[in-house]
Amino acid sequence: MFWHGFIIGSIVVFILILAYRIIRIASLPVHLRWELAPIPHERDRSKYGGSYLEVYEWWQKPRKKSLTAVIKYMAVEILLLRAIWKYNRALWPLSLTFHAGIYLVILAILLSIIHALVSIGGATSELLLDIAWIIAITGYVLGGLGVVGLILKRISNEGLRPFSSFTTYFNLFFLGAVFLTGYMSWMKAENLAADMSLIIKQTLTLDNAINISYPLSLHIGLSLVFLIYLPMTNMIHFIAKYFTYHEIRWDDEPQDAKMTVKILGLMKQPVGWASSHIKTEEKKNWADTSSGHEKT
Amino acid sequence: MKKLKLTDIAANENTPLTELNIDELIPLPPPYDRAGDLPGFRQLTEDQRQRLVCNLDGVVSYAGLPKPENEAEKKKYIEQFLGGLKKLLDKENNWTFLQPLILSLDYCAQCQTCNDACPVYLASGRNDLYRPTYRSEIFRRLIDKYGKTGGKLRARLTGKDIRLNWATITRLYELSYRCNLCRRCAQACPMGVDNALITRELRKLFSQELGWAPKELHEKGTVLQLEVGSPTGLNPRVAIDNLEFLDEEFSEATGIDVKTVWDKQGADVLLIHSAGDIISFPESPISFTILCNAAGINWTLSSEIGGYDGVNYGLFYDDVQLARVAIRHAEIARKLGVKKIVMGECGHQHKAFITVADRVLTGDLNIPRESVMTFLENLVFSGKIEFDPSKNDFPVTLHDPCNVVRNLGIVEPQRRILRYLCPQFREMTPSGVDNYCCGGGGGLSVMSDVNFTDWKVNVSGRMKFKQVLEAFADVPGPEVNKYVCAPCLNCKLQFRDIFEHYGAKERSGIICGGLAELIVNAMVDIKTPFIKWFDD
Repeated sequence: MFWHGFIIGSIVVFILILAYRIIRIASLPVHLRWELAPIPHERDRSKYGGSYLEVYEWWQKPRKKSLTAVIKYMAVEILLLRAIWKYNRALWPLSLTFHAGIYLVILAILLSIIHALVSIGGATSELLLDIAWIIAITGYVLGGLGVVGLILKRISNEGLRPFSSFTTYFNLFFLGAVFLTGYMSWMKAENLAADMSLIIKQTLTLDNAINISYPLSLHIGLSLVFLIYLPMTNMIHFIAKYFTYHEIRWDDEPQDAKMTVKILGLMKQPVGWASSHIKTEEKKNWADTSSGHEKT
Repeated sequence: MKKLKLTDIAANENTPLTELNIDELIPLPPPYDRAGDLPGFRQLTEDQRQRLVCNLDGVVSYAGLPKPENEAEKKKYIEQFLGGLKKLLDKENNWTFLQPLILSLDYCAQCQTCNDACPVYLASGRNDLYRPTYRSEIFRRLIDKYGKTGGKLRARLTGKDIRLNWATITRLYELSYRCNLCRRCAQACPMGVDNALITRELRKLFSQELGWAPKELHEKGTVLQLEVGSPTGLNPRVAIDNLEFLDEEFSEATGIDVKTVWDKQGADVLLIHSAGDIISFPESPISFTILCNAAGINWTLSSEIGGYDGVNYGLFYDDVQLARVAIRHAEIARKLGVKKIVMGECGHQHKAFITVADRVLTGDLNIPRESVMTFLENLVFSGKIEFDPSKNDFPVTLHDPCNVVRNLGIVEPQRRILRYLCPQFREMTPSGVDNYCCGGGGGLSVMSDVNFTDWKVNVSGRMKFKQVLEAFADVPGPEVNKYVCAPCLNCKLQFRDIFEHYGAKERSGIICGGLAELIVNAMVDIKTPFIKWFDD
């Protein structure tokens, strides 16, 4: 039952830590507006970075928002790394290779899970396994190449080197080890996707016959440790990005009644800053401090 | 150029980290391409080096920075810095920007994609000190070390240890004023990390906890505005007198009755100019008076303290001052019972009042606020005023104030006006939301302590000056008069300093002005040219 506990436990720990970090970010107070153009949900204006504030007496006019444009924007950003393409072309091939590797490995795992679920019902699909098999090796190779490229780039580039810490390299090496052991497992197995699918099925059904041999055991072990480690690092920028984009850059909602309630609550909080233009003998809250003016 | 390590920030507290050399900056187009022909940097005197804290780049933006006489005094400031650092991470003391700050601190991937988006870094010839990430990463590591549990141990284990000493805090202070807060770096970041925000939070820590802020922004900025009425020092009586004088002068010059309206109860529009325009660019407020009266708008200015100056320097360095100024403006509008407030040609007023303060102004203080760009566009295309675009038949280019364009997404209204009224309008490259800052953003345009102006015109304003020259590359000589339209007082002040420094009027025939002046210049009813070229 070791593998069952290890696999399920790792996934549960991953979900719990990730959820904790998401809740921590989401529960931070409402901030002052800090949007940044271009904002893709501006249906007629996002092409050039325009906003609803370009409309005369905008508060009297209906707003035209486009969810499709947001989804399209994010899809290009996530899958093709739009910002790096636009602003850091030299890094783009390496970063894209690296990220494509990760995406493909995740996709191969998802296909293996789907096959495992199907096979629990008694069916099987060689085609699905073959597709997952090809995707997996492509992912391992691209991911591995991306890791090597990024490490070399960080070591050789004068701009990147001073900002690359032990943690940066550790994370890259860790992921590199995951890709490398994945590649080794793929080479040894007849069809790695089939083996993975079987392990997933045995885990889901708590089948004691589960038996994972080297190097797949090393690959799965490393991957699970990485899964636990991941939400403790800044590599969860895939989550943070939701907030930096949707809750800050693109948060252009004018104040409404619900927001007013939140702001009034925040303005009741005490102000503890010590500078002479703020500090008073009697501790004031934000509302009082903002409406008055203490002489310096 | 000396390569810098992050740990250098704490070393040799009395020695500058880098020395600026004009030959290492990016070259400008002819006739400004020979460094030897241009005025260089004013070097600090020996007396200034002894008296002032000057340990960053040989430039001093704030002569008032204390110079401790002993270790105990230094320790006191370091303790204050640490206290402020913790307050920045606190939900009560920093609810205003806590979420954006934490996300920007915790999720930088160190890809350095933002660097080449920064006009200061590029103009400096890629000096490490001016990377948007240099100050941010140092601050990030200090926060990780001193603001988080187990931080000191983690800093040692991961090799991210930055010493916190007198050199570190004074250099961070100065370095926080080597950024225009233009947010071009934030736009480039794939993660959505905002180095400009981190810089502003750093400024905020110094202001709100240690009381360190440039005198032009604080003491002679927001404090003066709230006490006297304006950072210009104009009190209400003097402001009215000045504009009455200008009304008379321009009535005479234009042949039409120019009459500024003051304190009209129940007006449709409260127009809040930057009072600096009254002093430095008087054609601007007068243009609005002419246009509003010609279009029959029911408008007014306010003579309440603070009501005739829309600037809000709090946006650059201090949340409390930001809120105080914004609330003061809103209270004045409420008292007058106006239907809406229209921003003057001032970029940071737009951002501070229309969006940032939107979550400070509650209840009846939340009066509709509109950009001058849409206001003028509506006025120009209303059909109430007759225009003759041939009166503006000279090369015109548009500068996009970052706070109006990149930060608010107001891009096209001003362009529609210029395309209609200026036959020789041409864009800069890049423009719109991708524009470069004028180099005076983030409050820098009004800062002129010690030798700071030299840095502004040589480094932070360099990319913009290059862009301007390139926009007029087909007519480079002084024989053709050229107009840079900069609808923002702070940008105009920065352009004025740049053009004076390089002699751009004399050598290239370039002047700078606002948008409203171009509109008035094209009015059929204005018989003599409204725009004055070179004091003619």
